[in-house]
Amino acid sequence: MTGRKVLTGFEITADSHTLAGYRARGGYEALAKALKTMQPRDVTQEIVDSGIQGRGGAAFPAGRKWQGIDPHDGQPHYLIANADEGEPGTFKDRWVLEHDPHALLESMLLGSYALGVRHAFVYIRGEYDRPWRRLDAAVEEAYAEGLFGENILGSGFSCDLFVFRGAGAYVCGEASSLLGSIEGTRAWPRNRPPRMTVRGLYQAPTVVNNVETIASMAWIIRNGAQAFREIGTEKSPGTRLISISGHIRYPGVYEVELGYSWTKFLHEDCGGLLCNKPLKAVIPGGISSQVMTGMDAKVLTPGEVEGMTLDHEVLRAAGSSLGSGGMIVIAEGTCMVRLLQIMLRFYRHESCGQCTPCREGTGWMHRIIDRIVAGEGRPEDIGTLYHIARFNDGTTICGLGDAAGYAATAMLDNFRDEFDYYIEHGHSKFGGNLECQ
Amino acid sequence: MPVIFINGEAVDTGEHPTVLQAALANGFYVPHFCWHPELSVVGNCRVCLVEQEGRGVNIACNMPVVDGMRIETDSETVRAQRKAMLQFILLNHPVDCGICDKAGECTLQDYHYAYNGEPALSREPKLKGTKFYPLSSRILLDNERCILCSRCVRFTREVSKSNVLGIEYRGDSALVRPAEDRTLDDDPYSDNVIDICPVGALLSRSFLHQARVWYLEPTPSVCPRCARGCTVQLWHRKPEWQLKTLDPSHNTRILRVTPLENPRVNGPWICNRGRDLGEVLERPRAEQALQKGAGVTMMEAIEATRALIAESTRRIALVSSWASNEELRAFQNALGDRFTSFVKPDQLPEEGEVVEDELLIRADKNPNTRAAQDLFGSEAPEIREDADLILVWGEGVDFAQLPRGAKIVFLGSWLLPEVGHADVFIPLSIQTERRGHYTNFEGVVSAFEPCQPRPEGVIDAETLFPLLAAPGGARGRA
Amino acid sequence: MKHLIPEFERLKTRLPPGHDATLLLPCLRRIQEDQGYIADGDIEGLVEYLGVPRIQIEEVLSFYGMLRRAPIGRWHLQVCHNVSCSMRGAERLLDHLSGRLGIQPGETTPDRRFTLSTVECLGACGTAPVVMVNEAYHENLDPAGLDALLERLD
Repeated sequence: MTGRKVLTGFEITADSHTLAGYRARGGYEALAKALKTMQPRDVTQEIVDSGIQGRGGAAFPAGRKWQGIDPHDGQPHYLIANADEGEPGTFKDRWVLEHDPHALLESMLLGSYALGVRHAFVYIRGEYDRPWRRLDAAVEEAYAEGLFGENILGSGFSCDLFVFRGAGAYVCGEASSLLGSIEGTRAWPRNRPPRMTVRGLYQAPTVVNNVETIASMAWIIRNGAQAFREIGTEKSPGTRLISISGHIRYPGVYEVELGYSWTKFLHEDCGGLLCNKPLKAVIPGGISSQVMTGMDAKVLTPGEVEGMTLDHEVLRAAGSSLGSGGMIVIAEGTCMVRLLQIMLRFYRHESCGQCTPCREGTGWMHRIIDRIVAGEGRPEDIGTLYHIARFNDGTTICGLGDAAGYAATAMLDNFRDEFDYYIEHGHSKFGGNLECQ
Repeated sequence: MPVIFINGEAVDTGEHPTVLQAALANGFYVPHFCWHPELSVVGNCRVCLVEQEGRGVNIACNMPVVDGMRIETDSETVRAQRKAMLQFILLNHPVDCGICDKAGECTLQDYHYAYNGEPALSREPKLKGTKFYPLSSRILLDNERCILCSRCVRFTREVSKSNVLGIEYRGDSALVRPAEDRTLDDDPYSDNVIDICPVGALLSRSFLHQARVWYLEPTPSVCPRCARGCTVQLWHRKPEWQLKTLDPSHNTRILRVTPLENPRVNGPWICNRGRDLGEVLERPRAEQALQKGAGVTMMEAIEATRALIAESTRRIALVSSWASNEELRAFQNALGDRFTSFVKPDQLPEEGEVVEDELLIRADKNPNTRAAQDLFGSEAPEIREDADLILVWGEGVDFAQLPRGAKIVFLGSWLLPEVGHADVFIPLSIQTERRGHYTNFEGVVSAFEPCQPRPEGVIDAETLFPLLAAPGGARGRA
Repeated sequence: MKHLIPEFERLKTRLPPGHDATLLLPCLRRIQEDQGYIADGDIEGLVEYLGVPRIQIEEVLSFYGMLRRAPIGRWHLQVCHNVSCSMRGAERLLDHLSGRLGIQPGETTPDRRFTLSTVECLGACGTAPVVMVNEAYHENLDPAGLDALLERLD
């Protein structure tokens, strides 16, 4: 068991994802409570007090984001749930969409009430078909019961929800680029300032929250901020959905209480590594978080309980991050050069092409690593990769360019000998292995 | 007004909302490709990075001025990042300056020398792109040279509103393309994208490989093709770089026309017809004075005109709306009291031409109607059937419509059929051969300068009118 | 696309008024679902229906990986070859498919039955490797499972 639960503490049955199933576990009680007994600002205050941090990657305090909007300033506001889950290694929001869509919808209603939102959106990635079907069915159920539309539960509060499906662009997971996508333009990220809470969708104040973040709100309102704070650590309250994949025996989505032991998680809850290999490396939160060696992650051997705990502060201090919660486990014997090649191909493929350093830098890095993998690497390539990464850091419009650089830098920092070996010998130290054999 | 500190110096930012604008206005040059004063801020080139004390590096074009902020435009970090941005921009740029029309006035060239100056760090082969993609009958696109600053795209969206251009695909496959249902020929302002392109990605087909820009110089002038009177620059070879050629007109031809930025009239733009001034100004010239179609000397033509004036009593003048302010006054002073004068349009809208729009183009296709009407009124020409002398100044008059009994004196510059049908024809100089001013429809006066030699047989109207009016003949004067 | 307009009109009821361009992507997706690709005539129809410039539609079409302007094979096999899938055998899977169908990624079999593509992370890393066949995910695949799957696709 990975600690207490906020999102996954129910048994999955044939109808647990339906409105009836959700109601049976107390669903929409928080909404009724909020609409009857709370002012919009009280709802926001509760979220602020809960201390919940964004679960999409940046871990920004969600309540603080909400406070950026004055629900009574007379302009339209928008709330968008970001379900454009595309960070490689991440599939946790998919779990919410498939198994608990009403938790998201109830939370969207609470958020819309708190922020003075008349029209809310869920932006779901284009490839997610089953998750979309589940979500769409839930939306129709909710509309049919008067949970969306005019005068919800007789409160006078009205709110519509539009489920917007993407069409295959990772960058739309970046909140400002998602806005462009909804507005019917090519999805290019926007410069800050202005912040989105000042000028977002249709130039109006907008909050974009990750699915997991917002889906937790119903629990928080139902049980209170204090109850939420009791879970997790002081600085990282609550839980995180960790989607774990790679060379791990029981991959899947786990709800992990923040502060839980990483060693226990990997070796007990997830069954340890495939093929009984030692842990070589782990990418803690999607490929945009820095890879860590097994040594640095202090989860070398089963039973070593003193290792690192899973929370935002600890991982940040270790030079990485919990990011999107997409954990990829890499066993000994895996070729890190090939893995980086795949990552850099990804960033090049997904760069939107708008700003210079990312557009050119991601392609440049990918071409270099392709050449290295083809056996034509040159010693100076390492320096060039570092150079490109360094000058993508902080110079781009959105985080995609930075992330590509972080991925490369962390790989080079931690596995430099493999890269040097590949360049010197023209082939992989590990036979180019990606699979656990 | 917020005061900020740029490189340690206090700067009053005035009305400038961003650090970039405040810096540029106060003599601190911050390099930039994508930012343009007339276009929206997109911040995609990332070359205008500056360092803000306590806040790190960010782009100046999107950085609002905040009282007391301290900005470094040339710190070590900024220099390193700028250099890196130029390395990125040059990564797939072909550096084919040797065959690029933009060479010599290319922002990328300038910045490379000013801020980078180092050999390419990349050893990867350059990505190939389309070269010489025809965007219209006027413009070619070179995707290899394009740095995707999106100025051209924003121009067609925000200024000309033709929505022709866009950026398609993404990542390092992104490229500028026209909408499939149109070309830039649909945009009467399209050629401005050539000027605002900071590199040689957008090329004028008429100027393609015509000249190296460093052999050229511009003469300030005014576009005569509508009442807006946009200020322009006429580009021709520098005298010190004259070609040794059998046809000397090669050395005086107008090779291209670009806007002369003018906030009171046209901002930084002109329309395509203004680019094609050669169409009007380089038409075959009339250089020979004529009397009833037969060649005479200028003296003889002037004498004959004087005689016609003396013999007639009901004189009408059709005044040119292409004449300069100075010429109009000269006519008014010399002959105004002897003629009933009407201002007529020399040019009317042509088939297929945009008659009028909200940006620059005016329905009146003449540059100086306003000044002419200020002197001679705005009534439509009314030619009495019993008129006995008609002075036709400039083109646009159908002689067949004039009263049969009237003598016709025609003052013009072009080799038109009418020159042979007038009783007297006197060839005049044109605006590229003399100094002068036009007054646009809003009353803004702009100057033009000569850049071409006046042909031997023609006379300036300013010189001519006093001669026509002088008592006792013009002997010994012309 | 004209026959889909009533459907598009229904979508509008849940959107704030005055932002019709928001329907661009939903319309494009629906048209593609309906006929397999987006034709020139559909683009013209959307220019008129949504009042957006054609260049904007072309930009959007070329930006998103899922949208296409020409028909492809009846079954679109999209093999995820990102990190987690590659660590679970995606590259072998792709080689197998490529060999069996005799086509490379990006190509369609001459009988127009299959189109093979590679895609980046589909969010099925825990059930890797994944192949997306038209809209449906097929997870935890190995070459044998893939062969069985292909048999079911006519």
